[in-house]
Amino acid sequence: MKQNRNQPATSILLFLFIIIGQISFLSGTNRVITLQSGNKLAVLPFEGRGISAPLTAHVTEEFRKAVRSLNIYQVQDKDITERLEIFTPKSKTYWNCWSVGCAIDRGRQLNANYVIAGNVEEKNDTYLINGRLFSIDLETLVNDFSLSSFNDADSLLLELKKMAYTISGLPIPDTLGLGSDTTRVNELATDDSTPKLKLPKIPSKIKALLMSTALPGSGQLWSKKKYQGWGFMSMEATLGFAALISYYQYDQKWENFQENYDVYLNGTDPHNLLEYRPQIVQYAKESNQYNSYMKQIKNVAIPIWIINMVHAYVVAPNDDFFDGEFFFDIEYDQKINQVKTGLSIPLE
Amino acid sequence: MGGLYFSCTDADYTFNNKYDPVNMNLDPPALFFHPYEVNASVGQQISVELYGYKLNPAAAAQLDIRYDWGSVKVDSVVAGPFFVGNNDAVEIIVDEQGVLDVFLYYLPDMESNESDEGTWSLATVYFTTLSMGESELLYGPNTQFRDAQNDTVHINDYATGIINVE
Repeated sequence: MKQNRNQPATSILLFLFIIIGQISFLSGTNRVITLQSGNKLAVLPFEGRGISAPLTAHVTEEFRKAVRSLNIYQVQDKDITERLEIFTPKSKTYWNCWSVGCAIDRGRQLNANYVIAGNVEEKNDTYLINGRLFSIDLETLVNDFSLSSFNDADSLLLELKKMAYTISGLPIPDTLGLGSDTTRVNELATDDSTPKLKLPKIPSKIKALLMSTALPGSGQLWSKKKYQGWGFMSMEATLGFAALISYYQYDQKWENFQENYDVYLNGTDPHNLLEYRPQIVQYAKESNQYNSYMKQIKNVAIPIWIINMVHAYVVAPNDDFFDGEFFFDIEYDQKINQVKTGLSIPLE
Repeated sequence: MGGLYFSCTDADYTFNNKYDPVNMNLDPPALFFHPYEVNASVGQQISVELYGYKLNPAAAAQLDIRYDWGSVKVDSVVAGPFFVGNNDAVEIIVDEQGVLDVFLYYLPDMESNESDEGTWSLATVYFTTLSMGESELLYGPNTQFRDAQNDTVHINDYATGIINVE
């Protein structure tokens, strides 16, 4: 009887153990099998077509703000996103980043989970915005969206907000308002008509060339070619040090030569004049020898310096500004192990 | 660093000092007057060094100097460093109507050499100019050098000097 009375309690305990075990097992497995992803989003600068660059930048930034304000994604700051510009400048190719491969590449470089690339186009008094949302973790295109609005700043910003809701997977509230200063849009839209002093952008290759011209190897270091950069720098530093030693020795001998020669030229005592002769010959010989060393060092250092300049230019990252639009280009093609030069003349 | 990669001027020189014995076209060992040309005014005291150029070791010398005794007169003679070692040289001066004989003897001791060699001043002659004109200085035929063994020391060449009194 005792056994029979205890049987339900044992069954319940057993059941509880099984349930707890299942829960803990499932919860444990959940962590493993669920496709969890972060929420870091990078909005690449939109490409502007037929609208001013400042307006394009403003639209991109407004879109970032709109998405950020919804708190679904952690939107990367503009400066972080655009820092790619520094070492891999692609100033006009974000629109080219339309493929999954490109977006993944960019997203990984930016350490983001999602990437949005898009463009803004003005046609017949209408703004047309196209965009794509890529998941970097899943390596796939998640969303492809486009919107159009009349050439009206309020309407454009409102549409951007709606797009932010769509991207974030949230329903668009009926009461959605602008809540943002739109005067800047109109101001920027007419930016092209007001002349402003704008310094020309220095192409990366020219920048690297200038840097290596001033300080050998610095252009390579800037281009992230550490070994070559340090190599050129140390070579020139060694030659410079050798030149410095030679110059120091030359300077001493030259000083002695000048001193003795001046005394000889102005002297009147025949005995002393005869004594100065061999010293003058000796100091002249030694100073000429060190001068010859300096000339030899110069003959080695200058070609290395020039090679360093050309090398800095070749290994520096290509700008789109410079690639295809500029009339002359030179670059090293690793696939065929050759340096290629190109000439391009824009027909527009 | 770029500034270091230059080359400097090569040392260039010309031995063209007029007092350099090498430029006097003398065949050493030789004797010359230093300076070889003296410009002075009447009544001025001047000095001329009797100089030996690459002389072989010598212990004594007779310097026979010929001068225009109407233009200049000899005031004094001082021995130069050639015959002066630890001791001063023994010096005998004989001056007779345009012929000045200077006898110099090296005075050695237990520690110094008995003779000297090279390019040195043998003696300095102090003149006073008397009248205007050009006076030539010459080494006469009695000029001779002897070494420590009293052997003759050969002299190849003799230069002349000029005193211009204006």
